[in-house]
Amino acid sequence: MTEEKPLDFAREITGRLGGETITRCYQCGTCASACPVTKTTERYNPRQVIRLALLGQRNDVLKGDAIWLCASCYNCQERCPQKVEVADVIYALRNMAIRGGNIPAIYTEFAAALMNEGRLAPMSKFLEKKRAEYGLPPLKPANTEALKKILAATGFDKIMFRKEGAT
Amino acid sequence: MEEVKVGVFLSDCGGQIAKILDFEALTKFVKDVSGVVLVARGSEFWRGQGLQAIVDAVKSKKINRVVVAETIPKISEVAIAKAVEEAGLNPHLMEVVDLKNHCAWPHIDTPEEATEKAKAMLLAAIEKAKLLEPIGKAEFPAVKAVLVIGGGAAGMQAAEDLAEMGFKVYLVEKEPFLGGLAAKAVRFFPTDDCAICIQSPASLTTVTQTSRKCVYRSGLSEIPNLNVLTNTKIVKVEGSPGNFKVTVERKPRYVDEKKCVACDLCTSVCPVEVPDEYNAKLSKRKAIYVNKLLVYPPAYVIDAKACKFHECAKCFQVCPTKAVNLDQKPEHVTLNVGGIIVATGFREYDPSVIKEYHYGEYPDVITHLELARMLDAFGPTSGVPVKPSDGKPAKRIVFVQCVGSRDRRWNPYCSSICCMISLKHATMIKEAFPDADVTICYIDIRTTGREHEYYYERAREMGVKFVKGRPSEIIHDPATNTLVVEVEDELLRRLLELEADLVVLATAMVPSEDAKELAQILDIELDQDGFFKEYNAKLRPTETKRRGIFICGGAVFPKDVPTASLHAHSAAVKAAKFLMNGKIVKDLKVAVVNQDYCGNCQFCPVTCPYGAIILEPKGDGHFTAKVSELLCEGCGVCVGTCPVGAIELSHLKSSQISAQIKALLSVNGTSKPLVLVFSCSECGHAAVDSSGMAMMSYPANVRVLRVPCTGVIQVQHILEAFKAGAQGVMVVGCKPDGCHYEVGSQKAKQRVEMAKMLLQAYGIEPERLEMLNLVFIEGDKFAEAAKTMSEKVEKLGPLQLS
Repeated sequence: MTEEKPLDFAREITGRLGGETITRCYQCGTCASACPVTKTTERYNPRQVIRLALLGQRNDVLKGDAIWLCASCYNCQERCPQKVEVADVIYALRNMAIRGGNIPAIYTEFAAALMNEGRLAPMSKFLEKKRAEYGLPPLKPANTEALKKILAATGFDKIMFRKEGAT
Repeated sequence: MEEVKVGVFLSDCGGQIAKILDFEALTKFVKDVSGVVLVARGSEFWRGQGLQAIVDAVKSKKINRVVVAETIPKISEVAIAKAVEEAGLNPHLMEVVDLKNHCAWPHIDTPEEATEKAKAMLLAAIEKAKLLEPIGKAEFPAVKAVLVIGGGAAGMQAAEDLAEMGFKVYLVEKEPFLGGLAAKAVRFFPTDDCAICIQSPASLTTVTQTSRKCVYRSGLSEIPNLNVLTNTKIVKVEGSPGNFKVTVERKPRYVDEKKCVACDLCTSVCPVEVPDEYNAKLSKRKAIYVNKLLVYPPAYVIDAKACKFHECAKCFQVCPTKAVNLDQKPEHVTLNVGGIIVATGFREYDPSVIKEYHYGEYPDVITHLELARMLDAFGPTSGVPVKPSDGKPAKRIVFVQCVGSRDRRWNPYCSSICCMISLKHATMIKEAFPDADVTICYIDIRTTGREHEYYYERAREMGVKFVKGRPSEIIHDPATNTLVVEVEDELLRRLLELEADLVVLATAMVPSEDAKELAQILDIELDQDGFFKEYNAKLRPTETKRRGIFICGGAVFPKDVPTASLHAHSAAVKAAKFLMNGKIVKDLKVAVVNQDYCGNCQFCPVTCPYGAIILEPKGDGHFTAKVSELLCEGCGVCVGTCPVGAIELSHLKSSQISAQIKALLSVNGTSKPLVLVFSCSECGHAAVDSSGMAMMSYPANVRVLRVPCTGVIQVQHILEAFKAGAQGVMVVGCKPDGCHYEVGSQKAKQRVEMAKMLLQAYGIEPERLEMLNLVFIEGDKFAEAAKTMSEKVEKLGPLQLS
């Protein structure tokens, strides 16, 4: 079952921002029973994600779709008796997945929208109309040049548009 | 002063080490040392003929200082000291060196070098012996009386043990009745006894001597030396170990224990009703009350918060024996005791802070203690588990384990008894109500005690359901007045919504509310979780850092009753051992202050791990340190900390350390640079011993100087060693958290760091100095480090001292 020493993967996770607390988990399942996503689908169970991670199942964790299903409601994190920062661990795992080129298409689309239009949700006639109804001023175009510079400086563009397997 | 006459006795361990060391050369060398008047060689000197030779020499006044080369000094010096004392010489005028394990064995490959090292070792012992002074004994009073704080299972047990051993005992309980937490628990595991059952005293004629009795008929109150003081709290503790003056406050009971006949007329007329705390507020009681029938003392008490006193006075009027006294006032009493046992127990954690479980908000979410009161046939619901919201019997009951324990947000530790409490209650319910639907939600079931696993087995056989998973939320459905427990069944990987009439929280067990205050009054430590801290978890589990004060039972950590009893027996034995002679006799191997140098600084009183040093006004506006001979353990941490050298040990004066440094470095006999090792007498020295015992070799240019604790070492001593010719210095002490004198090893580390800075400033390589923290089994590490240090200083070249 083990593809590498379980602790190697766990150490990699604890070395990342948000992942520090993962080894505290004693599998009580409070996170799973608190999770609104787990209630609706069997595809995501935070306890199981952590279990797989601590057993060194890198591919199952980083290449599967589970980690992308977390709604970031922090119900789990609030209740965890071992103070595992469950939601933050999921973020850490997502960051690791992205750096490995495993990124769901929707996120690449978001990133592209941010780079090109300066916002995640594209503007539409409908939204413009709604804004006017609420008495909000029309939106100015975003300064995408400045944004591109910042995102380039942080390496965002390179990380987000990396293809799987690339180094 | 009498002329110093040293006798040197060289044991060759039955000829064993004579194969390595040249004893003729050693004898010749020793004979020429000034002050030596007698040199003898034999096969052993710590028993038999050898020891007799020492005794004869002492008795004939031929010698007045004894130096013995003998193996395992820790054992042999005990016998030699005893014999020397019986022969009429102060037993501290003696020095033992270990030529076998510290010289012959580790240097077996270089016998000539070993012989030269042996000379240095003997010279050091002789020079030290010449400076030794007699050390007297002192006697301190030990009052043969003990205060036991806490009248629960542990406290009652300890009090009974001590009283029967003939000590005067004061058993102080803050509540109006004895019994503590355990008395509320209905039944005990693993025997399923009644909770109010205790060990009965064996000495009373009319009490049958079976092992167990209810508290009220145990005869506990009738043991002649045992004074039970209920409704009483500790206010102040003064004095010293063996002779404490304890002030207690006796709260008014308003009912005379000696007159009350427990006829119950008072409660029948009392108009005030309040929730009954003893019954977890599940029922009501009157302002004048007893917890339950058959308690001790068998006398009513008035709840001062609820009673209307003279406004009503109905109880006073109706009492047939005139036992009610509404004008009673609190009373301060001073007790003189030699020892104190803390047995204040633990309590249930209030789980209302854990918002997702809604304790305190939903009435049908209760704790185990509340359930225990329901399951008591004499309790508020006569043994039936009910829903507190409507009083209807609870048919579906869910237990939640680890509530507030094993939880980093509240109490990180496992409370250790809650699994068993749940199993006990689950089986009790199933036994009485086989149709009841009982589910236990757990993370891990821990049944580690004797017979405990059988409870788990029995619960499964009886149909108790076990769900591996910790609930995330308890929801209340107002339409049906039902609780819903949300939990993931991890084994099925399925989310469950368990419907329940009653949810029972197995809460953490935490220290009693007044633990902190009491620890301050007694000046003893609490651990990180707030429980009373033992002196040594492995070897001295019922002693505290303060001599004469002992701890036991749930005050130390949550315990079941069998373990608490065991702990209480242990504390009682320790207290008895401490006081049994009626006096404390100790050698004055203590720190001594030189009043001329000492003044005004706070270093030693703050550093002393035993609180043995206080500052005393000198009269001219200045302060000097004063050492309590009773409290001082003679470690010398104060010596190491004193900036002006104003304090030294009676059993290892600064002059004796200096003399040994010089002597050990005066003879080299090897081609390598000398390395001096300061080792503590405890783990450090044991590590050096074990390297020798196992014949792990290291070079003979490494010399060992033993001190009581590395905490005694001043920066000055290290510099002195370099000045006297050491090219490298090592300090070997216990592990930082395993120091036999608490802080000595850590203090030594600081001083080594400071000395390194100084060395650098003088242009000396700081790597010539090193601190090691070793234990007995790490002799190999000592040998390795000694070798490395020797090679290192050889490579660095001779030390250039300007």
